[in-house]
This record gives sequence, C-alpha cells and structure tokens, in this order.
Amino acid sequence: MIAEPAHRTDGAPQAGAEVGPRSEGARPGSPTVRLLPPGPDDRLRFRRARWQSRQRLERQLHDGASLRISALALKLGVVRHHIASAAPDLDGSIDDLQDQLHAVLQELREIAGRIYPTLLDEAGLGPALRGAGDRCEATVRVQAPDRRFDPAAEGAAYFAVADLLGALGPDSDVAIVVGDDGGALVVTLEGVPVEYAGRMLDEVAGLDGTIDVTGGTGVGTITARIPCA
Amino acid sequence: MRVALAEDGALFREGLLMLLQAAGHDIVGATADGDALLDLLATEPCDVAILDIRMPPEPDGGLITAERLRAKYPDMGLLFLSHYAESHYLMRILDIGTEAVGYRLKEKVGSVDVLSDTLDRIRDGEIVIEPVLAKRLVERPRGEKKGLVASLSERETDVLKLMAEGRSNNGIAGQLFVTPKAVEKHIANIFGKLGLHADTSENHRRVLAVLEYLRAQRDDD
Repeated sequence: MIAEPAHRTDGAPQAGAEVGPRSEGARPGSPTVRLLPPGPDDRLRFRRARWQSRQRLERQLHDGASLRISALALKLGVVRHHIASAAPDLDGSIDDLQDQLHAVLQELREIAGRIYPTLLDEAGLGPALRGAGDRCEATVRVQAPDRRFDPAAEGAAYFAVADLLGALGPDSDVAIVVGDDGGALVVTLEGVPVEYAGRMLDEVAGLDGTIDVTGGTGVGTITARIPCA
Repeated sequence: MRVALAEDGALFREGLLMLLQAAGHDIVGATADGDALLDLLATEPCDVAILDIRMPPEPDGGLITAERLRAKYPDMGLLFLSHYAESHYLMRILDIGTEAVGYRLKEKVGSVDVLSDTLDRIRDGEIVIEPVLAKRLVERPRGEKKGLVASLSERETDVLKLMAEGRSNNGIAGQLFVTPKAVEKHIANIFGKLGLHADTSENHRRVLAVLEYLRAQRDDD
C-alpha cells in the first residue's frame, strides 16, 4: 500500500533533515531512504486495487452480516412455531423483530450497493445500468454486450453513469450504449445535459479515462472511454 | 411435502432446515452446492427444490442447477432464495420456467406459515414472487408504462401488486378481504386501462402477462 502523504515529494524540494517521523527512530548509521513518489503506473495499479477491494467488501457484507441476519430471521420463526400456542403476545413481538431484521438487511443492501453493486459484480454493466435506470426518474434504455470488462473499469463507468442518472428529472429520455474499442470500455450517453460531463470525468480520470462531449451546451451526447487492464 | 435444499451458507442452511422441520416437511437432503444437490436428487425424488441463487458452481450456481433440474425433472418445483430481489434475476428465473417457480428474499420466508404457503403454491404450479419486488415493479414500471400504471385507482394498484406476486383470484380476494367476483372486476378494469389483451381467466397466463408488461424490454431485444 502506498502511504501517499508521507512520501509525497512533488512540490518544493525538501532538506534531508525534514523527512518526517520515519527518520526519527532510525538507528544511527543506517541511512534514511526516501521512497520515490508513485509513478503513473503505480497510481493506476493502486486505483485498480481499490476497486477490487470495494468488490471484496461487498462480498464480505453479503457472506457475513447479511447471511447471519437472514439465518436469525429463520431461527426466530422456529422459536415462534414452538411457543405459538402458549404466548400470542410473543407472536407479535417476533413479527416485529423479523420486520426489523428485514429493515436492517435492506439498509445493508443499500450500503453494499454503494460500495459495489451486486448486479455489477454478478451480471455486469448492462444489468447493473438497467437496475440504476429502474431506480431513477428518467426513461432509460440500455444496450450492452454480455462480455465483461475489468472490475475497475466497470465500477468507474457504473458510478459515473448512475450518479448522472440520479440527477435527471422524469422528462429525460436517455439512451446508453456500452461497447468495446480496442480494449477500452466505451459508454455513450445520448440525451443528457452535457454540464454533467465534468462530474463523469472525476470518476473515470483516475483510470486514465477520457470524456468527450458532443452537442454544445444543452442536451447532447457524452462519451466515456476507460482503458482496461 | 418432500423438500431438498442447496445453500452454501451453513448458518442459513441450518436455520432453514429447522424451520422446514418445524413446518412438518420431509427433508430429502441439504447440500452446500448445486452439483451435490443434483447427485442427491438422482436417487431421492422431491416435490420442491430450494436453491440459493449465489452459490457454487460460481457465480450463480442456483440458476445453473435449476436449469439442469428443470430439464431432468420437469415437474419438480423450484424455489429460489436470495439476498437480493432484482428484476434481472426474476427474468432469468422466468427464462428457466414459468410454472412451479418461486423467488423470495432469504429473510422473508422466516415463518412456518409463509414458508409453507410459498412451497404449497409452487407445488401447485403457481409463480411466487417476493412482494418487495412485485411492489417495486408496479411502482416503477419501465418507460412509457409509467403513465398508464399511474392511471389506475388505489384499489386497482393493490390488485396489480398482488397479481405481480403471482397470486390467484382467490388469493387476491383473501388478501384484500373482498369477494373473488370483485377481484375479477378489478382485473378486467386493469387490463382494459393497460391495454392488455391476455386471457384473463387463467391465473398463470395472467400473471405472466402482467410481469411481461411491467418489465417489457424495449432494448436489447
């Protein structure tokens, strides 16, 4: 892992004595070595690794807390069955507990989806973007191939588009086309306000992605191109 | 009822087994993946197989296993359990079969009554859909359907939700405390307003028509 702030040497050159906490505890005689700042390749690798770790976090939520809570909901049902005849009050409290477990699970799903959408992990960009389209106000049509891209590119593309869709009103009619251009993931959005292009660039620039805008200042076409590993 | 089960999470598998036992079902066997279930069912017949969607063989072993089961034992009911109620999976499930299939959230089958009702309906050939998902389909239909669905009365919307859960006329009548006759009238009105011409007398086909209507893909087809 690259601990960026400690090693950052871009900007004004620093004197050797000011290197920071690492040099203070060093044994006398052992030279202090300053790590080189991460190069463009390191940064890219770091950002790709971060997307992979988001994917792992989502799976951990699914296999850990979610599974445990679902199992609890079932065990409560068993308990109720065994004592149902004896205690009608308990019946209501168990119903209530099960409803609350369901609510907690819905919240966990919401969090998991913000880390890395399950559909994106399991089924790819097409189904995940259709899901995002269903949840937003606008009318959204998605055309996407079945093939998969790397998780970093899919993640960046998904969040760039989902963020934009979330900002649209019910009158928008958006056509999304996902494609492949010489190994790069290409997502074209037609019928969107081009002012959102800057926000999309924030999401994809970290992976050396680019954004192209066609259509002047109003509603137009935004194309995101993200190189894949 | 004879029930078999495949689920890779040991905790949930145990909980479900206890609940199935409490409900008085015969458990043919429980496995941690789809391939082991296929092996088991080669010698032990069952009425309904309960499948976790996300289990080995990865990534969605439940669906692959279900395809194989449906091909080999066309009469066996299939109940899919998942952490996620997604229309993407619903469509994949309906591709595997449109009779005797169910799709429910894992934590929502946590009572003997609900679990047995779900299993009974599947064994009887019905489609059973998680109410959370049915509700979302009705409240957020795709594209140009939004306006038409919004034109339904509150009561008609309730009936449409219950139809999207796969319920029969009698089932809907029971849930809403009205007569089956009144339900039929609501359904005729709904189909009229939505411009659906499917055969409304047969529950199974009607449910499919409603689901297809709410989910009609205008792209990729």
